[in-house]
Amino acid sequence: MVTALTTAAEGAPRAENSAATLVSNVSVQTQRLLLRWLRNPVALLETLVIPCLLLLMLDIVVGGQIERFTGEDALFGSVPMVASVGALSGAVTAGVMLGREREAGLLARFWVLPVHRASGLIARVLAEGCRILAGTLVVVLVGYLLGFRFRQGLLPALAFVGVPVLFGLAFATLVTAVAVFTARTVLVEGITILSTLLMFFSTGFVPLIAFPEWIQPIVRNQPMSAAVDTMKALALGGPLARPLTLILAWSLGAVLLCAVPAAIGYRRASRR
Amino acid sequence: MSARPALVAAGPHSGAWLTDLRAAPVRLWQWWVLTIRMLVPAIKTGEILTSVLAPAAFTASFYIPLKTVMSFSGLGFSSYAQFMMPLVVLQAAAFTAIGAALRSATDAVSGLDRRFAAMPVGRLVPFSARMAGNVVRLLIAQAAALTCGHVIGFRFAQDWAHTMGFVGLGLLIGVAFTLGADVIGTASKSPETTTQALLLPPLILGMLSTGIAPAAQFPDWVQPFVRNQPVSQFATALRALAGDSQGNAGVADWATMTPALLWIGAIVVLALPFAVRFAIRRS
Repeated sequence: MVTALTTAAEGAPRAENSAATLVSNVSVQTQRLLLRWLRNPVALLETLVIPCLLLLMLDIVVGGQIERFTGEDALFGSVPMVASVGALSGAVTAGVMLGREREAGLLARFWVLPVHRASGLIARVLAEGCRILAGTLVVVLVGYLLGFRFRQGLLPALAFVGVPVLFGLAFATLVTAVAVFTARTVLVEGITILSTLLMFFSTGFVPLIAFPEWIQPIVRNQPMSAAVDTMKALALGGPLARPLTLILAWSLGAVLLCAVPAAIGYRRASRR
Repeated sequence: MSARPALVAAGPHSGAWLTDLRAAPVRLWQWWVLTIRMLVPAIKTGEILTSVLAPAAFTASFYIPLKTVMSFSGLGFSSYAQFMMPLVVLQAAAFTAIGAALRSATDAVSGLDRRFAAMPVGRLVPFSARMAGNVVRLLIAQAAALTCGHVIGFRFAQDWAHTMGFVGLGLLIGVAFTLGADVIGTASKSPETTTQALLLPPLILGMLSTGIAPAAQFPDWVQPFVRNQPVSQFATALRALAGDSQGNAGVADWATMTPALLWIGAIVVLALPFAVRFAIRRS
């Protein structure tokens, strides 16, 4: 936004909807969002510190017990799960922030300035992706200290890091679609409860066979388990096709369903 | 506090000045009105339901996944439900405490505390009304916790005196937790930061406790902490009061009860002076 204005002042006017404006606007807005995140201790605590603490807790409390039960290191389930949980909780925090900026009139302010119309949403997606990536890397680092290893080489390791980003962005689309339509914290709380339930009833918390039989089909096919199984296969090895298809279906499904409402809602919230 | 109207009446200019005419409302009535304030809106918005749903969600989330993993190598208990019941009760108490901090912080930041302090309201009335509201929520949460425990298969294995002891100790712990949380909320004046900060201690202390698994199942280096931290002491005491058909729940003697009671005492002794100070100071 600032860049666009200064270049205009220097005598090289740039159309508000040109590609160059979009790039510069997106980079400025992404920086703004990431700075806000870095300067907010509570948000940092939520996205970086709590997931690591959770991983440590899980390793201490259930790690040994699961290893005795299945014979393989529980970290191959808990590192993917905690990375995914971090991605989800980051999305909730971002949703709260979006609601506040809407109520403070910041979105409307951007709308009346010569800012590229698409830059707001794209910047949010990019910032969210960066945040999830940072969170995942920190969790993997702590996992490495505890004994987690990539056994499948470099490419699967890169794909491993990409899964929470994909899953988290799909979830963020859902949260955005909800957050722009309602300011009520009840719905955000509902999403927090949903993500907590996804965590406890996923194959990353305890292995699938440890669940009672009646609940196994739900546990096996819910998105968090799909993400965990995909990441586990990419790090440790094992069947990859089924969980990968499942997580792609869940994520793309969420994006397809929620992208249009999110975009419409964002536009409406900006023009309030 | 109630001495003020009497003093005025005995003063030299009693009745001569309008300022000498102080309102003399009934403290008990004020307390009742402010207690109702903590409950009726919560019932109308359905928010009070969270006191029932939280223990239910907690029980399901821990019992269903962990039952097999935790008990396959032998707990010495008739079931994992019997083993984890104290943790359900403690979680219900902790959940109520986080809500208590949220409410007291909201009262502080919205200026309601100052407003009450400027009105002819007994100094300790707002605080004791908040605590009364907390106790009602505690009763609901504990009842929900016991119902959930019954559903997953927990049974009281001892006589009614022990059962009453279990319920009483659970409530006492809850009162200590909510008292501490109320003080923290009033002091911080920030509902969001307080609730966020108060989520962590129950998570850490709850998971690293003998409430979730026997101490021997933890790594060696963390066992001393696990055994001696307050949540484990509470869990041990509650478990002894509940008993078990296999007889490994421990004996409810003074050696088991004293650490738990001392922790409760310590929280109350630490929090109560602050609570009174915050209530009687003029801001």
